[in-house]
Amino acid sequence: MRAGVLILLLLALAALLGPLLLPEPDAMDLAARFAPPSPDHPLGTDELGRDLAARLLQGGRISLAVALATALLATIIGTAIGLVAGYHGGLADAALMRLTDGVMALPLLPLLIVLAAADPAKLGVPADIQGSESFAVARLAAIIACVGWTTVARLVRAATLSVRGRDFVRAAVAMGASPSRIMLRHILPNVASPIVVAATLSVGHIILIESALSFLGLGIRPPLASWGNMLTGAMDAVWSAPQLAVWPGAAIFLTVLGFNLLGDGLQRSLNPRSAST
Amino acid sequence: MRRLLAATMLTTLLGFPAMAKDELVIGITQFPATFHPSIESMLAKTYVLAFAQRPITAYDSSWQLVCMLCETLPTIENGLAKVETRPDGGTGIAVTYTLKADARWGDGKPVTSDDVVFSWEVGRHPQSGVASAELFRRITAIDVRDERSFTLHIDRVTFNYNAINDLRLLPAHIERPRFQPAPAEYRNRNAFDQDTTNPGLYNGPYRIAQVVQGSHVALEPNVHWAGPKPAFRRIVVRTVENTAALEANLLSGGIDMIAGELGLPLDQAMAFEKRNGARYAVVTKPSLTYEHLDLNMDSPVLADVRLRRALLLALDRVSLTRQLFGGRQPVADSMVPPADWVHATDTYRYSFDPARAAALLEEAGWKPGPGGIRVNIKGERLSLELVTTAGNRTRELVAQVLQSQWRKAGIELRIRTEPPRVLFGETVTRRKFPHMAMFAWYSAPESVPRSTLHSDSVPNAANNWSGQNYTGYSDPRMDKLLGAIEVELDRNRRKALWRELQDHYAADLPALPLYFRADAFVMPKALKGLEPTGHQDPSPYWVERWRWE
Amino acid sequence: MGVIASRLLQSLAVLLTMSFIVYGLMGLMPGDPIDLMIAADPNLSSADAARLKALYGLDKPWTERWGRWLARLLQGELGYSRLYARPVAEAMAPALLNTAILMATSLGLALAVALPLGILAAGRPGSMLDRTVNLLAFASVSVPVFWLGLMLIVVFAVTLGWLPAGGMAAVTGDQGGRLAHMVLPVSALALAGIGQYARHMRAAMLAEAGHDYIRTARAKGCSPSRVLVRHQLRNALLPIVTIVALEVGGLFSGALITETVFAWPGMGRLIYEAVMGNDFNLALSGLLLATAMTLAGSALADLAYWRLDPRIRRQ
Repeated sequence: MRAGVLILLLLALAALLGPLLLPEPDAMDLAARFAPPSPDHPLGTDELGRDLAARLLQGGRISLAVALATALLATIIGTAIGLVAGYHGGLADAALMRLTDGVMALPLLPLLIVLAAADPAKLGVPADIQGSESFAVARLAAIIACVGWTTVARLVRAATLSVRGRDFVRAAVAMGASPSRIMLRHILPNVASPIVVAATLSVGHIILIESALSFLGLGIRPPLASWGNMLTGAMDAVWSAPQLAVWPGAAIFLTVLGFNLLGDGLQRSLNPRSAST
Repeated sequence: MRRLLAATMLTTLLGFPAMAKDELVIGITQFPATFHPSIESMLAKTYVLAFAQRPITAYDSSWQLVCMLCETLPTIENGLAKVETRPDGGTGIAVTYTLKADARWGDGKPVTSDDVVFSWEVGRHPQSGVASAELFRRITAIDVRDERSFTLHIDRVTFNYNAINDLRLLPAHIERPRFQPAPAEYRNRNAFDQDTTNPGLYNGPYRIAQVVQGSHVALEPNVHWAGPKPAFRRIVVRTVENTAALEANLLSGGIDMIAGELGLPLDQAMAFEKRNGARYAVVTKPSLTYEHLDLNMDSPVLADVRLRRALLLALDRVSLTRQLFGGRQPVADSMVPPADWVHATDTYRYSFDPARAAALLEEAGWKPGPGGIRVNIKGERLSLELVTTAGNRTRELVAQVLQSQWRKAGIELRIRTEPPRVLFGETVTRRKFPHMAMFAWYSAPESVPRSTLHSDSVPNAANNWSGQNYTGYSDPRMDKLLGAIEVELDRNRRKALWRELQDHYAADLPALPLYFRADAFVMPKALKGLEPTGHQDPSPYWVERWRWE
Repeated sequence: MGVIASRLLQSLAVLLTMSFIVYGLMGLMPGDPIDLMIAADPNLSSADAARLKALYGLDKPWTERWGRWLARLLQGELGYSRLYARPVAEAMAPALLNTAILMATSLGLALAVALPLGILAAGRPGSMLDRTVNLLAFASVSVPVFWLGLMLIVVFAVTLGWLPAGGMAAVTGDQGGRLAHMVLPVSALALAGIGQYARHMRAAMLAEAGHDYIRTARAKGCSPSRVLVRHQLRNALLPIVTIVALEVGGLFSGALITETVFAWPGMGRLIYEAVMGNDFNLALSGLLLATAMTLAGSALADLAYWRLDPRIRRQ
């Protein structure tokens, strides 16, 4: 866990300090394409002569924004479904859990491709918003969250089932509290720790999915940079500038590793018994 | 395992394709999904079929129309083409061709006028699934004169009356029994897709001998081919779907050459040349693929011609093509490429001139504003949106260069990319782009841009979104010029009209010309005789001239 | 029997819903290949477009087309692939085979390395080896497979020039070439799997070690190796089998990225092309097959559990 926190702290530090020390990420110099590392450009330049390190940090900002937004959205959906299923039981539980099973059985990547290829204009999103950075992030977050909520839903349901029978819940029911109040005020705080663990672990997973989608040209699209689409460009230039492929992937790897180590550590400290061995 | 590694290393170290000289392996990036000559339109298919199928007429590498299966190109001068009155009173033309006497299908049967009639029947049948049916519709009747001669009656007189490149021949003796009983099923039942290796389907120097889906197509000589004998015992067209792997396969000897028609992007080919120029020749030829920005004329901002001119003056296209493409993709002044004989050299040219651009912008009411972006009197920022295809790396890069160049002139560019099917299925075709759309047109040499510039061709709901004048450009003088060029049979007068059209285009700028794309052919130095064409008729139409030296 | 029936029914419902949603999403996407053809080629007129669309039924609402597709499917017809102009099964078969070869080899390789590693690590908890396995496990779930593939290409194809960077076998058909083309994609997939499987194996072995019957067996004087193989290993394999079975479906669709990097003409690429090219029949069949594989995988996992664990079987 300490390693995980350390990695993430270092990344955050780089993201904060980078803009102060590095050139503008959009400043291009066509005369200096694919330049090797130099004092001006610590990691060299990309195919348009832009500073690779600065681009990397900019791409990371977007990749992380997508991952955090998705994790949040998926956790909210999953928690709501898990709470309702676990608390109400019966038909609601059966229906929601069948839905969860169904979504889990879907082939993730091909389905995401279908979802990502859909056109936002059809949903009535005005064109000038479509081009904005926050829309690109939100679109991707919504798509991935659509299929990413199942783990949280199952965890929350299981935790809710075990909490439901406890005295303080029974007492609240006896006092006539409404089901939604009981779920939010009494059950949710008691199932919070598995949610936090699951959300943390899912961040890493989502970064991987986002980078894969962007790599295929369906996630974040240029001119916005993301680690995934930086690799798409690097693949074409792999013979003339193999160094371009190294850094974005290494950044993904380190970030995901950081989140996974952190999540695992959280799991151990919050719930020592169920810690994975 | 170790032996295997060693063997691979050895071929790499030797560095030269370790194979007999009578086999040629060509790499392309797409697998031909279908093999029927006229159903579907797909570059990989056109390329592979070009080894095995010959059209009646085609454009050669110097962009002249030539006979491939016919004996003489019919013209009005040689009397084989005659202007005639149509039954309905209009003017049409009758054009007579004679097929070469020794033209044979791969099963020994001669290529006959009956094949021509059958191909036309398939082409004009509404359910046959033929992609481009324009030519088939224009041909109103065919008179068969004898086994090898026939006369086409075409419903209008245009200067290119004798170009029937789109009339792709089908062997009637094989395909008619498959077509006639159920024309609607023909696209799934034709022999080209169901019995691809049937030699009788091919009339070129090669025939398709083997198809391994997703991997390669092997071609072997057609024994009944009567023309010059091709040099290779076997040609294999291999598909490798990503260009980095394609390059790797070339270096490891898995393929001998990369076709320019469907190969490496120019910048990648140039990087390759830098490293491997000693062993491989990288031949580039500027094509007639016209990269440009369509401007939406309905936008109040772009309706001002001063702004359109300023936009082009503020672009340094010369340094763009020099730095991104080594200067191998010529800057465009209009849709007419420099290699076309109707290209005018003395029309107005926009060179990079920031001072004039600034003056024009001021004149149009755009003054420097906050953040370096110009604003007009109402306080609106000069901010334009450009849409282009997602996944086309080169366009994405060019768009970012444009963004950075225009910023220096105080113009903000927002870039949006869309998958091609969305862009061409809706955004561009229904004119839903607010300001600019970047894409390319490709066409035949001397093709009249009626569908992209005539006011009749503006797509709208009333005409069911037909036409390709996506800019909404409507100009009586342009309409008149287009009409005049099409029917002008005299070459000199036509050239003068073309010059006028190019001048007018440059003055009005309904679209901003960028450059003409160049195809890069990567070949071993020993391969001779391959000539890139730069247009839609691919180089293998002349495969019998290819040889090792 | 009832369990199996309800499971089948449930799977069918999932497949049906899936097909409906996919059809809808694809139907909602603007543009189709005919629009694309038009846009690229000024020779094609809008009359051509209208004619071709009507011919392929693209002018009908998607719900109607889905209904027809379903009706034909119930008669056992997958239909024609529009992109490949041949029956869907015929278009899918070679891609399916390519993917299966890739998946089976890499899974086999991953397990062959991972299981012994896991067993050894479990033998000495806290040792150097154990910690390495743990780190490897974290690394393998954190690494983007396509980047791993790219790095392998950079090292072994670009820098060293030992192995081909992608594509299928060389045409000349020698088996050596075929294998050489497989080395990098198989390694990338296997490397990404080894850490996980080793970690699972280690956990399963440790869990078994804590059980009473192991202690009993030792007390009875069984040799340590006999205890390890006959008792501990046999039971520890159970969760591994389950995990592998559950992953089969995922492997299948996850191959897409690896196939893209290495230009491997497999199922993932085929589905991708079909979705992008609006080839409804092919895309649906491919996606449904992938879903069915996942469902079958989880059923298989349950079955394996039932077969291998006598305690469950007796119940």
